[in-house]
Amino acid sequence: MKKFLIKVNGNQYEVEVEEIRDGSVASAPVAAAPASAPVAAPAPAPAPAPAPAPKKDTAVPAGAQTITAPMPGTILKVNVNPGDAVKKGQVLLILEAMKMENEIVAPADGKVASVNVSKGASVNAGDVLVSLA
Amino acid sequence: MGVTDKLNELVERKERLELGGGADKIAKQHEAGKMTARERLNLLFDANSFVEVDAFVETRSIEFDMQKKKVPGDGVVTGYGSVNGRLVFVSSQDFTVIGGSLGEMHAKKITKVMDMAMKMGAPFISINDSGGARIEEGIDALSGFGDIFFRNTLASGVIPQISVIMGPCAGGAVYSPAITDFVFMVEKTSQMFITGPQVIKAVTGEDVTFEKLGGADTHNSISGVAHFKSADEKECIEQIKRLLSFLPENNLCDAPVYQSADDMNRISEEISDIIPEGTNKPYDMKEIITRVVDNGDFLEIQKHFAQNIIIGFARMNGSTVGIIANQPSVMAGSLDVNSSDKGARFVRFCDAFNIPVITFTDVPGYLPGVGQEHSGVIRHGAKLLYAFSEATVPKINVIVRKAYGGAYIAMNSKHLGADMVFAWPTAEIAVMGPDGAANIIFRKEIADAEDPVAARNSKIEEYRNKFSNPYIAASRGYVDDVIEPATTRIRLISSLEMLSSKRENRPSKKHGNIPL
Repeated sequence: MKKFLIKVNGNQYEVEVEEIRDGSVASAPVAAAPASAPVAAPAPAPAPAPAPAPKKDTAVPAGAQTITAPMPGTILKVNVNPGDAVKKGQVLLILEAMKMENEIVAPADGKVASVNVSKGASVNAGDVLVSLA
Repeated sequence: MGVTDKLNELVERKERLELGGGADKIAKQHEAGKMTARERLNLLFDANSFVEVDAFVETRSIEFDMQKKKVPGDGVVTGYGSVNGRLVFVSSQDFTVIGGSLGEMHAKKITKVMDMAMKMGAPFISINDSGGARIEEGIDALSGFGDIFFRNTLASGVIPQISVIMGPCAGGAVYSPAITDFVFMVEKTSQMFITGPQVIKAVTGEDVTFEKLGGADTHNSISGVAHFKSADEKECIEQIKRLLSFLPENNLCDAPVYQSADDMNRISEEISDIIPEGTNKPYDMKEIITRVVDNGDFLEIQKHFAQNIIIGFARMNGSTVGIIANQPSVMAGSLDVNSSDKGARFVRFCDAFNIPVITFTDVPGYLPGVGQEHSGVIRHGAKLLYAFSEATVPKINVIVRKAYGGAYIAMNSKHLGADMVFAWPTAEIAVMGPDGAANIIFRKEIADAEDPVAARNSKIEEYRNKFSNPYIAASRGYVDDVIEPATTRIRLISSLEMLSSKRENRPSKKHGNIPL
C-alpha cells in the first residue's frame, strides 16, 4: 500500500494505492482520510497519470442517510464538517447549477457522518454529497 | 307474517348491515388505526346527509363456498350526500367484509353510483381499502375492475374524481385512482403497488417493505402517483373537504365563489423585497404566491413531488384560480421530466373545469443532462407546452425573474395563447442566460482578446444590460405590461374580471394527441 498526495484544482487529496497481483483483490477498501484534514509536510505530488477524479471517495457509514445532488453542477461552498450537528432545513452546501446558487439543505435533524465532496468539485445528479447519521 | 313483522324484519336487516364484517373485524380495523367504511362517510358528509344505495346487494357467486362467506353490502358502502351543502357521490370499501375484496356485485355497486354522479354532474369520491380482486369470483372480478376504469375514463374532465387510499390498494385496483384527478393517502396505513414485496422478492430479489414500496411518502415524493398525504384519516378527510371547496361540481359549472374579506385593491409593498439582489440567488416562490392570493390561502397539490414546480388552488377576489409557478429554491426552478408532467396535468384539470390559470415564472430552462434526455425530457417537456396551448380558460402569466429559452415559451407565454402576460421590472426574458449567450455571440472577440477573461466578462455585462430585461419582450408585445410587483394582486384580479367572458374556439376534433 502506497500513499500519494495529489493536488487537483488546488485541493489536496491523500490517496492510497495498492497493486493487485494475480487477480487477487485488495482487502476491504479503506476510507481515504478526508481532504479537509490538514496534511503535514505537503510533499510535492508525484502526479501519477492518469489522475483520479477530483472527488473525495469518502465512504458513507452504514445506515447513514445520504443527500445526493439533485442535478449536475459545481460545489461552490461546503458549510459543514463531519461530526457537525445540523438542524432540518440548515444549508449544508451550495451547488451551483442552472445559473443558480442552489442551497442543499438537511432533510432532517442529525449529525454529519461524512462530507463526500469538496469545494470546486463537479458532481452529477445522484452523486452523494453528504451523509447524515 | 304480519305488517309489524315485516317492518321488524327490515329493521333487523338494516342493523345487521351496519355491522359490516362483525364486531371483531371492526375492532381489528380500529386497532390498525383505521376507521370503518361507515365511520369515514360520517366524517366526510354533513350530519345525517348520507343516503345509502344498494345496501342489500350481495354476491351471486357460489364457487368456493362463497355463499357461506357472503354478507349483505358485499364489502362496499355506496351512496351520496352533501359536503358543505354540495352534492357528492361516494363509494367506500369495507375491509371488514371479505377484506373489502372486489367481486362482481361489489363493482356493480360502485359503477352504479359512478353513473349517477355522471348523470347528476357531481364529484365522485372513491375510498379504497381492499385486498384487491376477489379471487373466488375469477374473471367476474376482473370485469368489475374494467367497468370501473372505463367509467373513470368517461368521467374524466366531466366531474372531479377523487381517490382516497385508506388501506391496501394493490394490483389492478391501483388503476382506478391513477385515472382519477386527485389521490389522497394516509401515512402508515395506506399502500399502493402493482406487485407486492413478496412478488418483487421472488422476481428481482429486491427486499422492500410495504411502506417503502408504496406508502404515502413514496407516492407523494418519489413516484408522484399521489397528491396529498396526511398523518391520519381524520386529517385526510379534512383535506378532501378543503379541496372540494375549490372545485366546481362538473365541467359545465363554475367553481363556487366565496365572499372575500381580502381587499381586492390590496397593495403588497413587501413583495418586491422577496426577490434577492443577485440573479443567481434562490428564494421561495410560495412567499410571493401567498402575498398575492386571497388571505394568503394556498392549497398546494403534490407538495412533496417535483418541488421545482409549484401547483395548487387559491382564490382571487373569492373565485378559484389554479396556480402554477417555478420554484427557484429547488433545482433552480428548472423544468424537467417530473415537473413538466406535474404542471401539465394540473393545467389540463383547470382547463377541463373552467378554472383560470395563473403562472408565476422564474425559470432558467430545461434541466440538462444525459439522464434527463434519456428519460425523455423532450417528450415530457412537450406536455407542458401542449397543455398551455390547448387550454382555453383565462390564462395569465406573471414573469417574476428569469424566463429563458424554450422554458420561457413553455411557461404560459403569449406565444402559447396566454391572455395577459405581466412582467416585473426584475424580469429577464431572453433566448438564454447572459453567460451562455455571450460565449456564443462573442466567441471570436473573446478568443482574440488580449485578456479573454476580462473580455468575456465585459461581453456578458453588455448582453445582460441589453437583453436581460422585460422591455425587449414588451416592445414586441410579448409582454402586455411591465408592472410594479406591489400591484400584482390588483392587476391579476382586474384581468380575471376582464377575462370572465372569454370565449375561444378551437377546431373541432375527436381529441388531440398529447405526447404521453
